[in-house]
Amino acid sequence: MWGNFSEQFYLNFIQDDRWKYFVNGLKVTLIITLFAVLLGVVIGLIVGVIRSTYEKTHKLKILNFLCSIYLTVIRGTPVVVQLMIIYYIIFANARNKIPIAILAFGINSGAYVAEIFRSGIMSIDQGQLEAGRSLGFNYRQTMWYIVMPQAFKNVLPALCNEFIALLKETSVSGYIALQDLTKAGDIVRSRTFSPFMPLMAVAAIYLVCVVILTQGVKILERRLRQSER
Amino acid sequence: MSADGKALIEVKHLGKSFGSIQVLKDINVDIHEGDVVFVVGPSGSGKSTFLRCLNRLEEPTEGNIFFEGVDIVDKKTDIDRHRQKMGMVFQQFNLFPHMTILKNLTIAPMKLQGKSRQEAEATALELLDRVGLKDRADAYPSQLSGGQKQRIAIVRALCMKPEVMLFDEPTSALDPEMVGEVLNVMRELAKEKMTMVVVTHEMGFAREIATRVMFMDGGNFIEEAPPEEFFTNPKNERLKAFLGKVL
Amino acid sequence: MKKKVFALTMAAVMAAASLTGCGSKEAETQAAAQETSTAQAEGEATEAEETTEAAAEAEGGVLVMATNAEFEPWEYHDGDSIVGIDVEIAQAIADKLGMELQIEDMAFDAIIPSVVSGKADIGMAAISYDEDRAKSVSFSDNYAGSSLVLLVAEDSEIASADDLEGKLVGAQTGTTGELTATEMVGDSNVERYNSYFEAVQSLLTGKIDAIIIDGAPAKVFLSQNEGKIKQVGDALSNEEYAVVAALDNTELIEKINGAISELQESGEIDTIMNKYIPAE
Repeated sequence: MWGNFSEQFYLNFIQDDRWKYFVNGLKVTLIITLFAVLLGVVIGLIVGVIRSTYEKTHKLKILNFLCSIYLTVIRGTPVVVQLMIIYYIIFANARNKIPIAILAFGINSGAYVAEIFRSGIMSIDQGQLEAGRSLGFNYRQTMWYIVMPQAFKNVLPALCNEFIALLKETSVSGYIALQDLTKAGDIVRSRTFSPFMPLMAVAAIYLVCVVILTQGVKILERRLRQSER
Repeated sequence: MSADGKALIEVKHLGKSFGSIQVLKDINVDIHEGDVVFVVGPSGSGKSTFLRCLNRLEEPTEGNIFFEGVDIVDKKTDIDRHRQKMGMVFQQFNLFPHMTILKNLTIAPMKLQGKSRQEAEATALELLDRVGLKDRADAYPSQLSGGQKQRIAIVRALCMKPEVMLFDEPTSALDPEMVGEVLNVMRELAKEKMTMVVVTHEMGFAREIATRVMFMDGGNFIEEAPPEEFFTNPKNERLKAFLGKVL
Repeated sequence: MKKKVFALTMAAVMAAASLTGCGSKEAETQAAAQETSTAQAEGEATEAEETTEAAAEAEGGVLVMATNAEFEPWEYHDGDSIVGIDVEIAQAIADKLGMELQIEDMAFDAIIPSVVSGKADIGMAAISYDEDRAKSVSFSDNYAGSSLVLLVAEDSEIASADDLEGKLVGAQTGTTGELTATEMVGDSNVERYNSYFEAVQSLLTGKIDAIIIDGAPAKVFLSQNEGKIKQVGDALSNEEYAVVAALDNTELIEKINGAISELQESGEIDTIMNKYIPAE
């Protein structure tokens, strides 16, 4: 058993420097995830503010309508399909895959982040808005100085969980010939025809990333609760 | 304008409906500088709605409200500028939980009136001192008791140097033992001739510091009188019934 | 252009459907059962006698074949059924072994795990022998061969494999085309797609400069995209394809080797090859 194990280990990781596929794949996965999250937060913030403004004041009707179409389409279709449409159809002539993947995952994540922000904003007591307005702040200032900081704090754990979810969702990047972590495992598997070790390695790397991030979120949540006290 | 005897706030034919339900009907009131107006009445009579219309937290559906001679119901009026001169205190305090007390007090003067940090903090600390909470400047709202929170909320409004203070049931959410400390602050304000409009259930307090007491029922003011007369010699039957219940 | 967009969208939707489909085991087996019956029907047309014999001996067991039916003419969807050279050869082998053939269509990447884990008995999908691979699965004797060719856009300046340096070369992950491309242009210049269909789409839109692919499916893509892509240079290398089975399943491999040699001797494999790849 152990002889076989070390032989398999050598075959899948050491021989021909195959471990480099995993390292580079992880790099691609992390880069896509990080920038897609940033893009998603920007999109989500804008859409979330528009949606909650509409819900609170019934203004921005047209923008809200556009936003709800965006949410419906993005949340109603699988991310892998969106990714392929963006890569093979919308940017048919583009060669640079990583920015396209970031765009696709960012647009996708933005829809979920928008709903996180919207519910975060809606969860802030109406009294906060009224207190801000009564001091003379306009709607935008009140949102910016008073509602958003509180909403952001409330949704931070949910945002981090979205980040974690996105990390795993990027595993479909292989569909546009991107060599992310999952694809790295696929490539090694295609070389060695050994399903066990590359898959387990890929799973373990994702797991380690997710566990680290989850711990980070826990620490963050604890800090946030402390400052409330 | 108020100096020449004109009203600070003139309410003319004010009406407010929520959908098909009319909450306020044709209200006409003048509030002069230095007035301490107490609005009392049964729950659901429209007291709070009236108060919230004065700084347009509720949009009136009819009539006009002139503040320092400007119609603030007019959509063209920059309501945010006028609100800076109308301090408001809420039943639920509504302090900003993510800011320290000092930040709660200084953010509006700094962002809206262009005050420097030093200036804003000096004013805030002075006012904090007067309500006996100077040592809590760096605390967060969640670290304070209800009475302390409400005192801070009053100071927050005062930091804007308002012309009028609106109080929306300021003691209703407080434990009984904390009511006194808030009323003390309000009493001090009245002494300093601050113009105040107070919606409250504290009848004894109304009798003590009000210059005018107004009884609202069914969306309109039914009786208005100086406090002594209001409480000892009510004329309207509904007011008599109301006072019979609460006194 | 419109047609292309439609085709791509369909491909995208189907890819997604196949992804989500993995969850529904029932639907899969049902579909597989259907495929089996149609595959048998194919066989019936050519060898009526043997099929009746096979049906009688169906208790010989079921031979589950894992494949990736996106590689015309080796294995592909035609209407409701999966057909192709590998499929017919597999049917012939199953008939020889007195077994009932059942085809499972899956992602190319999933074939080997299916075989290793025993979900499928054999894998047939134009798979080539490789020393590293032989450490994880057992290979039968080669049953058929082909060659790798180079496809480029019609207006490309690439005239042969010698011009590939520094170019982006596309291939399907895990195919010998991809391995060869990696050898020729280096790891970072290879674009690894989940199927050759996507590689061809990328070639058409200029995302990549060339494709290295098995000669037989190359012909299909060339005929589908006439005037847009062309084949250049000589054949790059000869490919031999073999059946794979689990490493410890030597008994099955021996039986399959026996069947392959019989089929080669009888000329049946040549007949099948000629049916799908007409001589030029």
